[in-house]
Amino acid sequence: MTFAGNILAITKKDISLELRGKESLSLMFFLSLLLLVIFNLALDMDNENTASLAAGILWVIFAFTGVMGMGRTSMAERDEDAYLSIVFSPVSSESLYIGKVISNFLFLMIIEISTLFFFAVLFDFEKIIISLPGLLPSLLLGTLGFSVVGTLFSFLTTTSKHGEIILPFLFLPVVVPVVLGGVSSMNLILAGRPVEESMKWIQILAVFDFMYLCISLLLFKYLIEE
Amino acid sequence: MNMRKIQMPLFLSLLVLIPLDFYLIFKVAPTERVMGDVQRIFYFHVSLAISSYLAFTTVFIAGIIYLWRKNLFWDTIAYSAAEIGVLFSTLVLITGSIWARPIWNVWWAWDPRLVTMLILWFIFVGYFLLRNGISDWGKRARYSAVIGIIGFLDIPVVRLATKWWRSVHPRLKSEGGGLDPVMLKIMLFSMATFLMFTVFLFLYRYSIARAEENLIVLTKRLED
Amino acid sequence: MLMELKNIKKHFHSKAALNGIDLSVKEGESITLFGPNGAGKTTLIKILSGIMSPGEGEIIFNGSSSSEFDIKKYIFFLGHKNSLYNSLTVSENLNFANRIFSRSNGAGRIETVLREHGLWERRNDPVKELSQGMKRRAAIARGFITDPKILIMDEPFTGLDLKWRRSVLSKIKELKTAGKSIVLATHLVEEGYELADRIAFLNKGKLMFIRDKQDVQLKDIQELFHSLGEAA
Repeated sequence: MTFAGNILAITKKDISLELRGKESLSLMFFLSLLLLVIFNLALDMDNENTASLAAGILWVIFAFTGVMGMGRTSMAERDEDAYLSIVFSPVSSESLYIGKVISNFLFLMIIEISTLFFFAVLFDFEKIIISLPGLLPSLLLGTLGFSVVGTLFSFLTTTSKHGEIILPFLFLPVVVPVVLGGVSSMNLILAGRPVEESMKWIQILAVFDFMYLCISLLLFKYLIEE
Repeated sequence: MNMRKIQMPLFLSLLVLIPLDFYLIFKVAPTERVMGDVQRIFYFHVSLAISSYLAFTTVFIAGIIYLWRKNLFWDTIAYSAAEIGVLFSTLVLITGSIWARPIWNVWWAWDPRLVTMLILWFIFVGYFLLRNGISDWGKRARYSAVIGIIGFLDIPVVRLATKWWRSVHPRLKSEGGGLDPVMLKIMLFSMATFLMFTVFLFLYRYSIARAEENLIVLTKRLED
Repeated sequence: MLMELKNIKKHFHSKAALNGIDLSVKEGESITLFGPNGAGKTTLIKILSGIMSPGEGEIIFNGSSSSEFDIKKYIFFLGHKNSLYNSLTVSENLNFANRIFSRSNGAGRIETVLREHGLWERRNDPVKELSQGMKRRAAIARGFITDPKILIMDEPFTGLDLKWRRSVLSKIKELKTAGKSIVLATHLVEEGYELADRIAFLNKGKLMFIRDKQDVQLKDIQELFHSLGEAA
């Protein structure tokens, strides 16, 4: 089978694993909902401050639910040493990595879009849905950045003691540029500024994704081979 | 071991250089007109920052070599340097904050340089948390190398992002400006002293680490 | 000769885990690897299965050096864990193995394997609902699908009672009858002895001996274990 075929096999396996176990998606879904409620109560949100707080709240939720969800997905991989069935197969570590990046990316996107809808409903803020086309580039690139780093780190932390606690410690600082890029471009778009202004953030997100994708492709094999 | 041969002369010269550095900073360097005496902390702050970047660069390079050669020697180098990096970056953050209070009138300034240092600090705290949780030496070395490499490469991106992000918000006054020639010379002297001190500390930490590892290996052999 | 290890050495932090191992695996033969804890069995297994690079020495597979091609295509590895996805069903796990090994087994072949292993009735159950023995059986069933040249097993009987050990053993024997080579590392002297064509004994990173089965008695190995201070 080709490189692409292997990647597809991994992604497909992750999706059916998720459909069967329903472990990460449900966890991410409820966590994002819960965080929305908590932010609303804690920040006392109303019609006036919603627009200015939206971007920050949403990207914090994306980052937190994302890291929890990815930690969860790689637990399924470590359970019973299931990932060894891939390690001891002709599938290269690169295809394994990319396959998992794609499935994590899909799961995160699903949760993020649903969070945006709930945000619109709970905070009476339809604007976020109307501006979705403008938000999409930063959303896609930011989520890719999360999955690129998260896939690598979650694979790395799940075998160590207290890995689930250490994962956010490693993940969140590294993705600071993604969060900054996502928040800043969302703020600009919600403020109705021209697209060109958010371009530099799109660029930094793209650079981040590309850079970490290359590094992770080089490094991932060291996580599974000795 | 030839480490000793470097350590001793380093130690002796630091015995002279460090007091001399303090003397230069507190007695010889002119008082800065606007900031006053507080500005003197600048000599430590910048030197510590450069030293911690040296340490993190060492972690990065040693990590790459470890993954390539798989020799645990490089892991020992890496985590010895990482410890010094964490120590020094903590001091950078503290001195930065002491300095910011009278100058910027805040305890903590969200200056891109400080934020970058803080992020780096978090990553390397995570580095040690992860190390604690892994008992297999080979795996611990591989995983730490990966984090060391990624943490280091994160610096320029974080730096750029925080810089742009700040430009959206009101910008705090930037530090420094044109340095008076005496100040510059003392600054360079201070940097050199701290770099030497870093190397000394590193060699010291390294020999302790080696001794610890040898002890573990010997204990294991006894058990066998 | 299917696979040859030449003078393999592996050090971990100045401690030698393997100290000059020469081992050759013929096509269709099975070798059992005995040895006390810490003898280097796991390291040797990891190197054989291509997941760990040897520090020194050379691995020849089918006449060419292993560094030149992907050895994993021809290997089936089974450790003490089953390496099955707990939430996926038995047949999903088998299908996944079929896909990633790019084998063109039709649904018919997979059905046959499932039936032969007594897994057909449970094929749509998630693996986590199976008993320990059934899980192990499903894990081994993959070896019939991925069509390897050599099976490498590290303590495959861990956590199984006598009845299941026999059943797993008979399945491994079937794989051998199908012409696969087998390298098995185990503590269980009887099962290991029964399966072996040749027996190797590893101690302190060196092969104490490697002999044909008829030249070694079962009780010799048991005594050897005793003399090394381990209950076999």
